[in-house]
Amino acid sequence: MRVLLVEDEQRLAENIVAALREVGLAVDHAADGEAGSHLAEQGVYDAIVLDLMLPGKSGKNVLRDLRQRTIHSPVLILTAQEGKESIVELLNAGADDYLGKPFDLGELLARVKALIRRGKGASASVLRMSDVELDTVHQTVLRGGEAIDLSPTEYRILEYLIHRPRAIVSKQELLEHLYDFAWEHHSNVIEAHVSNLRRKLNVPGTEPLIETLRHRGYRLTGGGPA
Amino acid sequence: MTIRSISITRRLVISVLLLELLTAFALIVAVTVHEHHIELKAFDATVTGTAETLMGAVQDAEDQGDNVMLDLRGVQLSNNALYRVEDERGQVLGSFGDSAMLSRALLNPPGFFEAKIGHVGYRFFVLHGVRTIDPGQANGGVSHSISIVYGIPVRRVWHEVIESIRFFALATALLLSITTILMVLLVRRHLAPVHELAHEADRISSRNWQFDAPASAKETVELRPLAKALESALMRVQLSFEQQKRFTSDAAHELKTDVAIVKSSLQLLSMRKRTVDEYSEGLALSLDDFTRLESTVEKLLTLARLEQPADRADGAPSTCSLRKAVEEAVHQSKPFAELKMIEVIVEVRDTAAISLDGRDALLLCSNILVNALQHSHEREKVCVKLVRRDADVVLTVQDWGEGISEEDRPYLFDPFYRGDISRSRKSGSTGLGLSICKAICTRGGGSIEISNHPAGGALVTVILPASDSTSISKELSA
Repeated sequence: MRVLLVEDEQRLAENIVAALREVGLAVDHAADGEAGSHLAEQGVYDAIVLDLMLPGKSGKNVLRDLRQRTIHSPVLILTAQEGKESIVELLNAGADDYLGKPFDLGELLARVKALIRRGKGASASVLRMSDVELDTVHQTVLRGGEAIDLSPTEYRILEYLIHRPRAIVSKQELLEHLYDFAWEHHSNVIEAHVSNLRRKLNVPGTEPLIETLRHRGYRLTGGGPA
Repeated sequence: MTIRSISITRRLVISVLLLELLTAFALIVAVTVHEHHIELKAFDATVTGTAETLMGAVQDAEDQGDNVMLDLRGVQLSNNALYRVEDERGQVLGSFGDSAMLSRALLNPPGFFEAKIGHVGYRFFVLHGVRTIDPGQANGGVSHSISIVYGIPVRRVWHEVIESIRFFALATALLLSITTILMVLLVRRHLAPVHELAHEADRISSRNWQFDAPASAKETVELRPLAKALESALMRVQLSFEQQKRFTSDAAHELKTDVAIVKSSLQLLSMRKRTVDEYSEGLALSLDDFTRLESTVEKLLTLARLEQPADRADGAPSTCSLRKAVEEAVHQSKPFAELKMIEVIVEVRDTAAISLDGRDALLLCSNILVNALQHSHEREKVCVKLVRRDADVVLTVQDWGEGISEEDRPYLFDPFYRGDISRSRKSGSTGLGLSICKAICTRGGGSIEISNHPAGGALVTVILPASDSTSISKELSA
């Protein structure tokens, strides 16, 4: 999952980016409104954390432009401003959540995760597909009750796929949502990770869970959610 | 405690009434004098007339001695009238009243005189005349010298005068009552704009500063200055109230941001178990973040202290040498200047004292200097000059950086204003430095301004009034 952080305060941004990466999210950072707006409009983010007081372009305008371009990424507003009125205004303008500074980092992470979940149409933090169970809080995967040890990237690929069951997910889409600009990414890296993941999930005598469609991408199949 | 209450209406009404009363009084006095004069004339005419009638009433007695007699038939005498008629032989022809007094009175020369009979004042008229009996006879008749004294109480004159005074007094009283009622009504009506103005002013609250003086008040010449003063005073109050509000909200924003950084740094560190190196690195970063929070708080407190009225509890206002402050600031910023390889040229020619605390003066100088160094490119120079201009000490700090933009210029001294926010944020500025400089200059009774000089770059000019010469020598010897 890929998150965009638009925050002008350098040190705060560093901390939030580090925290979001620690929980396995790909994070891009924009230090002003213009850059934030530009990045957000690419439409590849699964959640956006937006500061209100920004140089160049205010957070409110970034949000407004985003919604005008029908970008549906969930937006969490981060602000030190007082007043309930502005919160109502922001929520009405298309924001999904709100957090006042100084905030609790754990709360910020939980809210971002919840927003991503909601954005993908899931309500529980534990996702199920066939006999696979994925716990997004503890980042653990069970197949048929057996714990499967996955690398962080493998986990993230499975998490992304499990949010879109039976849909074809292109390599490009996986790249866009799993890696931020700070990462070196090549499509063959994805292939290697997917192949490892397929191997680890495989139970002898059954159909492979992840199906590869030539030149089109990957599909998570199975008996449907349990 | 009761407040003394003064009513303009009451004062106006009372003043006008007093004036009216005074006028009425003067009028009554004039009328009295005049009436008295007229009445006295009429009185005298009556007395003279009656005396002459009495003379006419002296008739031939038709006796042998060609005597005369007083025939009072058809003669109208006033009530209380006293008279005495005698002929040349002292024979009394007619008399009424105190005969001794009246016969003495006859000796008076002809004309008026006044006398008191009992307790009543009388005015008498003495008339000497000749009556000729049988003038048609050959010997030309017999002539008799007749003396007449006739008097009536003077009271009658005063009676008439008092009557007219009473009439005037009544008329005045009536007039006064009518004027009072009319005055009260009219003054109230004419003072209506005052009430309207007060009503409008009463609607002002800390939430609603809108004040538009009612048209009636603006049209009234006497109220126009008050309405204008109210409007402009309120505008100033509103402005400073809004500035205060903005400052508070900006300060809160700034502090919250700094607190958020410290908090997130520590929380990030405690998210999972880390190595000793990671911990020590994280703690060092947290400490930096905390130092920044501390510096923001310190600057806010400094600004708050500077904006308080100067504390002169110790009596003498504190003074210091601006020269010392400049030299100290240059010394302190030396490492920073050397880091950017900037040459700081110092030209200090004045030693005058200024009425500022030494620490404030140093803060002022170092803020300006560090600002200039921050906005200079590497290997450039910064020029600091201190000269005396008449009664003022002028400090100029010139740099060859990019200068200031015209759109920033009006806001440079506003708290938390940053010309280029993203850049200044990184450089650790809080946007309070120039506000603090301005507050210090204001406290020292001087001014500060920033402009661009023709060579390109910013020029900061601080003008501070020099304290008197005694304090200079004191400062220098200290």
